[in-house]
Amino acid sequence: MDLPFVKEAVKQLFSKSSCAMYPAVPSEAAPHYRGRIVYHPELCINCGMCERVCSGNAITRKVEKVEEGDKITMTFNLGSCTFCATCADFCSRHAIEFTGDYHMVATKEEDLLVSGTFIKKPPVKKPAPPKPAAAPAAAPAAGGAPAPAAPAAPVKPRDDGKPVNDPSKCVYCTLCARKCPAGALEVDRAAKTWTLDEDKCVGCGTCAEACPKKCILI
Amino acid sequence: MFKKLIAESTAKSPWLFHINAGSCNGCDIELVSVLTPRYDAERLGFKLAGSPRHADIVVVTGPVTAQSLPRVLRAISQVPEPRCIVTMGSCPQSGNVFRGSYSVVGPLSKYVHVDVDVAGCAPKPQAVIDGLALATKILKEKREAK
Amino acid sequence: MSIVISALQYLGYILIFPGFLFCFLVGLLLSGIDRKLVAKMQKRVGPPVLQPFYDFFKLCGKETIVPAAASKTVFLMAPLVGLAALVVLQLFIPIFQFTAFSGMADIIVILYLLLIPALAQILGGAASGSPYAGVGLSREMVTIISCELPLVLVLLAVAKTVGSATGEGLSFSFASIAAYQAANGSLILRLSMIPAAIAMLMVIPGETGNHPFDAAEAETEICEGMLAEYSGAPLGIFKLSHAIKMLTLTSLFVALFLGGIGSGIAQLVALMGLTGPAANGLTVLLGAIVTVLLCIVLTVVSISFVHAVTARLKIEQIFKFYWTVVSGLALISLVLAWYGL
Repeated sequence: MDLPFVKEAVKQLFSKSSCAMYPAVPSEAAPHYRGRIVYHPELCINCGMCERVCSGNAITRKVEKVEEGDKITMTFNLGSCTFCATCADFCSRHAIEFTGDYHMVATKEEDLLVSGTFIKKPPVKKPAPPKPAAAPAAAPAAGGAPAPAAPAAPVKPRDDGKPVNDPSKCVYCTLCARKCPAGALEVDRAAKTWTLDEDKCVGCGTCAEACPKKCILI
Repeated sequence: MFKKLIAESTAKSPWLFHINAGSCNGCDIELVSVLTPRYDAERLGFKLAGSPRHADIVVVTGPVTAQSLPRVLRAISQVPEPRCIVTMGSCPQSGNVFRGSYSVVGPLSKYVHVDVDVAGCAPKPQAVIDGLALATKILKEKREAK
Repeated sequence: MSIVISALQYLGYILIFPGFLFCFLVGLLLSGIDRKLVAKMQKRVGPPVLQPFYDFFKLCGKETIVPAAASKTVFLMAPLVGLAALVVLQLFIPIFQFTAFSGMADIIVILYLLLIPALAQILGGAASGSPYAGVGLSREMVTIISCELPLVLVLLAVAKTVGSATGEGLSFSFASIAAYQAANGSLILRLSMIPAAIAMLMVIPGETGNHPFDAAEAETEICEGMLAEYSGAPLGIFKLSHAIKMLTLTSLFVALFLGGIGSGIAQLVALMGLTGPAANGLTVLLGAIVTVLLCIVLTVVSISFVHAVTARLKIEQIFKFYWTVVSGLALISLVLAWYGL
């Protein structure tokens, strides 16, 4: 019989244990640990990208009509989350944060929900305020196509946080339209048109990120 | 007095039974790491029982697949009262990324009363210890209510 | 009147001192020390020393489930039979010169009584109707057979050594073994007895079903074998029996090989100038304390240490180990004793 641990056992009998005495001695998570989600509703622009990319269906968005506009409630169910942080990566406003808090223990499922509410004002006529806008029902006011008919003129970014296309570089690949979480872009390959529905656009910048030619300015 | 002794002992000697209901093995590994020298749950009296009849706390991991559901329910029903059911990881609570699969019939709370949820994918060993400590408290309350 | 007093005295023996209460406290304490030290040797903190007490009282408070396939009476009676046999066994093992029931039992009876707890487990397991218990009990039987041969050889060697000194040939009486050791010093000091003592140390974990000889109760592969269907108080009693078995076997070792310490205690009491019942009482008390301390040391050496450094053996490996290595050691001892070394 081979007993390789005889010396080790005797040695350990008289030495200190290697236990982390957890409940008595609190311990921190590792630096980039992805624990409990913290949601910042004041930064959120309601683009819905996080909901789209979530693999565990952990994010739900509820829209209620109130007097000032739309009351939007985002709910993150930690009991359904994979903590992959894809939502935080895709959030252009950094409204989702993963903290090092790992104490996610609950006796009721409601205790594992993280939610935040904010009220989004409807778009004011005249595209002056930099507030992003979205009003699914009240959308008759077409903002007008941004800048398709400006040949050779240098395209300047708009000041309201919404995208603008540089037609001299654009190849009309439709990637931006496919990536847009709000469905505000319409790109026709054959007709070579790039149209933005300003009411739907929330100004998240996903289109600019997705653009292979980097011709969308924001 | 004897009743109080038993209730105190119940809080100090919870034995675990681990059921894998189609887990990806991440939570299983984390549960085992709770019993290793690093976290050593045995110093709190936890012990991994071999048979559900010996257990006090049932730890369920995995999204509860159609194949595993009858076995899970049978194993849980074999645990003598007072017992406590702990779901570990996101899967048994909601199905997580496996939600909507043809073979997943979870969440577990549809079929039995779940006492403690430990969220995380997979939870840190410290979080598991937290959850088990909470389960121990519930166990003691159940014993005292008897 | 004297009948009543002696009846009360025997009741006290059975229920309190070498009997049930003593077994209960010391057995569970030994089990707790064992668990603590195994944890220490594995670089862990380990459970509190009183953990087996918590476990026992918790199990008393749990629901007892009797499987539908089980034979109820045997299933519930088996743990009690095993526990009773162990308590009786403890009454017959002398604590140095003191025996609760002197002159009523010798080593052969011990040999038989040692079988009963294991047989009770086998009966209970068989009555539970679980296939895991079936596998477990077949392994338990092989373990018993494996341990029995070296144990018999060890006892024969001791009996021969004592018997050739007293002229009886083979002396199986505990009284003469204790008397011989009190007069001539502990048996372990004799050259011929050293292999037997080592063999006995190896038999202890096998008889108690401890690591690495716990193939019959392997919790990870066969759900603790015969105990798979037990829950609540009967399970607690089996765990208690297991703990008491540690005490029984280690105190048997003390009685067989370390009996010479008893004369030292008697001399110490005599030095203090006590006589009569006070001296007797003090001798017994000191003897009990020394026995418990020796039992703790033996448990640490033969159970905890072996547990920490080995992995579980397969059942055929257990059989081979006991019938070659351990039996060989005991046989050497027997041959040496035969030639009077």
